[in-house]
Amino acid sequence: MTGWPILSLVVFSPLIGVLLILFVPSDNHRLIRGIALIAALASLVFSLRLLGYQPDGAEFQFREDVSWISAFGMRYTIGVDGLSVVLVMLTTVLSVVSIFYSFDPIQTRVKEYYATMLLLMIGMLGVFVSLDLFLFYVFWELSLIPMYLVIGIWGGPRRIYATVKFVIYTLVGSLLMLVAILAVAIAHASAGNPFTFSYEALRGFGYADTLQAFAFVAFFLAFAIKVPMWPFHTWLPDAHVEAPTAGSIILAGVLLKLGGYGFLRYSLPLLPNAAVAFAPIIIGLAVVAVLYGAMVSMVQPDLKKLIAYSSVSHMGFVMLGVFVFNTQGLQGAVFQMISHGVTTGALFLLVGVIYERTHDRQIAHMGGLNGRLPRYAAIFGLFTFASIGLPGLSGFIGEFLVVLGSFQYSGWVAAATMLVVIISAVYMLWMFQRVFFAVPSDWMRRFWPTLTDMTRNEWLSLAPLILLVVGLGVLPGPVLDAITPPVQRILDIVNAAPGLTGFNLPW
Amino acid sequence: MNSTDLSAILPELALTALVLVVLTVDLFLPRGDKWLLTPITVIGLGFVGYACWTVWGLNQTVFAGFYRVDDLSVFFKVATVVIGVLAALFAPSYLSQRKLPLGEFNVILLFSLSGMFVLASSSDLITLFIGLELMVMPAYLLAGYHKTDRYSNEGGLKYFLLGSFASAILLFGISWTYGLTGSTRLSEIGGLVSHGPAGLIAIAMLTVGSTFKAAAVPFHYWTPDAYQGAPTPLTGFLSVGPKLGAFALLVRVFAEGLGVSGADWYGVMAVLAVLTMTGGNIVALAQTNVKRMLAYSSIAHTGYILAGLAAFAHATDPAIRSQGIEAILFYVLGYGVMNIAAFSVVGMLQRDSRRFGGLAAFAGLAGRAPALAAAMAVLLLSLTGIPPTVGFFAKLYVLVATVDAGVAWLAVAIALNAALAAFYYLRVIVYMYMREPEADPAPIDRSPLTAFALAISVAGVLLLGLFPDPVISFLRASAAGLI
Repeated sequence: MTGWPILSLVVFSPLIGVLLILFVPSDNHRLIRGIALIAALASLVFSLRLLGYQPDGAEFQFREDVSWISAFGMRYTIGVDGLSVVLVMLTTVLSVVSIFYSFDPIQTRVKEYYATMLLLMIGMLGVFVSLDLFLFYVFWELSLIPMYLVIGIWGGPRRIYATVKFVIYTLVGSLLMLVAILAVAIAHASAGNPFTFSYEALRGFGYADTLQAFAFVAFFLAFAIKVPMWPFHTWLPDAHVEAPTAGSIILAGVLLKLGGYGFLRYSLPLLPNAAVAFAPIIIGLAVVAVLYGAMVSMVQPDLKKLIAYSSVSHMGFVMLGVFVFNTQGLQGAVFQMISHGVTTGALFLLVGVIYERTHDRQIAHMGGLNGRLPRYAAIFGLFTFASIGLPGLSGFIGEFLVVLGSFQYSGWVAAATMLVVIISAVYMLWMFQRVFFAVPSDWMRRFWPTLTDMTRNEWLSLAPLILLVVGLGVLPGPVLDAITPPVQRILDIVNAAPGLTGFNLPW
Repeated sequence: MNSTDLSAILPELALTALVLVVLTVDLFLPRGDKWLLTPITVIGLGFVGYACWTVWGLNQTVFAGFYRVDDLSVFFKVATVVIGVLAALFAPSYLSQRKLPLGEFNVILLFSLSGMFVLASSSDLITLFIGLELMVMPAYLLAGYHKTDRYSNEGGLKYFLLGSFASAILLFGISWTYGLTGSTRLSEIGGLVSHGPAGLIAIAMLTVGSTFKAAAVPFHYWTPDAYQGAPTPLTGFLSVGPKLGAFALLVRVFAEGLGVSGADWYGVMAVLAVLTMTGGNIVALAQTNVKRMLAYSSIAHTGYILAGLAAFAHATDPAIRSQGIEAILFYVLGYGVMNIAAFSVVGMLQRDSRRFGGLAAFAGLAGRAPALAAAMAVLLLSLTGIPPTVGFFAKLYVLVATVDAGVAWLAVAIALNAALAAFYYLRVIVYMYMREPEADPAPIDRSPLTAFALAISVAGVLLLGLFPDPVISFLRASAAGLI
């Protein structure tokens, strides 16, 4: 282990990029793109060092701890466990991919664009490595504003509506979460402890059941809106449809995971009693989300909307896996997050590929692309199968584990979710068939002469995702090994919790 | 009066001397050299700030009990100086474009600051009232400063009439207080509430009079017109200076004078706080003029600050009570810096004096003036309460105070209101970054002085948000004397 602050380097390498970009003339696009890519790659390279994480070592490794605002005991404490490691890796990979992919599509306000994307990267990485609730909140909000700008400036025709909806939705949840964070820290401090926001100190403190119930609801709102969980998902389709391709990749690939991560890292270990008490309702909502997302996906005329709604369904799996409280469920949930990040990120990228050529995403406008763009069709097919959950690809592992976990909870829940595995095959394959094999629409034929297959940049952007989706599907072991200890810790806490005894829920 | 009395009021003496210097120099400066008044004012205020530092830790009551130089007053005075410096830096460019005199502005501004000094240090209701009038009389003048402009006249007159009305109510409350307790000393009016209905009437009038000055709903009707009519950088000062004074007044009367019976007026303050933040935000939502929007949003900020006072009133533990006061202090300082700077940006877009600060002036600003747009974006995010800015930390302080005092429902109200406010603050960002400029875009004032003041304000907003520790230890020490 070196003396380098590896984690800080991972998180703040993009900041150096931002500062450099500020001093580049705004019409020097090549230099700006180069700096952005190098900054993101630097972060990725540093994050490779995290692969040295020892699953059976200390809980949080690569720790750094510096006093920040001593008046309220806020500290710059960062560190990673297996859960953070895999999500940090996902973030750095997808950020590099989306920044590289943006080279061609983004031609307006290039300087602002890459500065914003790098800031977004800092926010997301910071959330995954924070071990101080205040620091976590700061990064959490920091990830919000750049995405707001990305959708609002470089988005589609209804971008302003979509981005305002996104930001207001998210802010309502996160501000209430801030109150809950304070309430938790203050409850801990008023028991005679020093005032602190340290995660490790606040975890395991026996909070009063009333506080747990209210704080859990506040955390739940923030995370459930981010995931997004039915019925808090309505911002997602709008945001995805209007976002530029790279924005969609990051949004689906990483930002939604912030919600899932929040549940695992904060809701469950901090407020186990409330988590146990609320679990049945959340499982109910998750099952609805899984079914609803899949059903609505079937009828979407727009490719991006279809994938957006399928995200609601897939993230429902994550929520289900989290709240059945057993090893398979939790492992499945985490694995599904990673897999969904890779698969959906790639699918949005692929939709971007056709959108760049035709400026349209209507499924009805497509058709016959298989003959015209065979390589594109092949790759699209690969990720379609990954999304359905075909064995051998990453999607299968997560869904299978979640179903396994939910079967231990209730056969009915497992049965309902199994049904969705079929529906997801229906909507994905039907979409695939209409886009690639159906008779080409007259509309699409107009593009026939100019339609080109995937460019080198597009291949390069997709290459890491192809490797990951196959690699994780064939060899899930390393990821599962890394996430087993944190998952086990969460389970130990939750399964020892008696539920809410001092507070009666209204049902 | 003796010599210790005089050394305790060194800051006031320095400020008064500065007023006289500026007044005299203005008389003899040729028309082309009037700009010199700004450096004189700013450097003079620097000396006043230094004088404040010399009385730090003195904690002395002087002038036979009418005046108190405690650390709390020093905090208010330092904050006043900060706001005064920013106001003096922001105004000149705007004023000179409109051929409005700079000398009078500086003098009036300094007079208003001296009122805030007196207000902050009063230990007697009479001194308090004198300080208040000394602060608001110049403020009326500033609101009507553009004397050939109809809106400025209207705003000034409204401000004056309603302000005088509020002063009368406050004065009436003071006389009831004196009648009931036989004293005007803040330290001796604590028993006011024990006088039955008459005591309640007195408290009600004190509440109305002082929250009027702070622009709390439902006593806020003067605010939008006065703020809209005044020359924009002066509006910036009016929205933060007299507000700081009003909160000094509220802290002195309620926390210091009536603090012992906090439980009796906690309910009123809490309800006023929620009404104010919600009312201000809802009306701000409907504004299409940024200047007016900022005016209404300043009402909402009053609500957040009042929540700090409510937290003070509800708590019994001294440490938690102190937190309520600290939250107020931090908020008025942070709000002062960010709001005066935000108004100045509106002013910079009014180089063409027919522009009234409509949202359209902001359209496409990011393309036309990237640095200005970025500065405004930081200020707006700070006003919204997004980290890492001073506005976020100020809200956080109030939230900590309320949750700690056991009034978490107030914290929830603040959180929901902050989300509501995000809608209209971010709308300006939408215009700046996500819309194309209008066909005939508003010319931008690129005066280096204004840009410099804006740069230090934005730097302050970010630095205080990231590293608030020094300020917090300063204001903790200031609030400690009160509890």
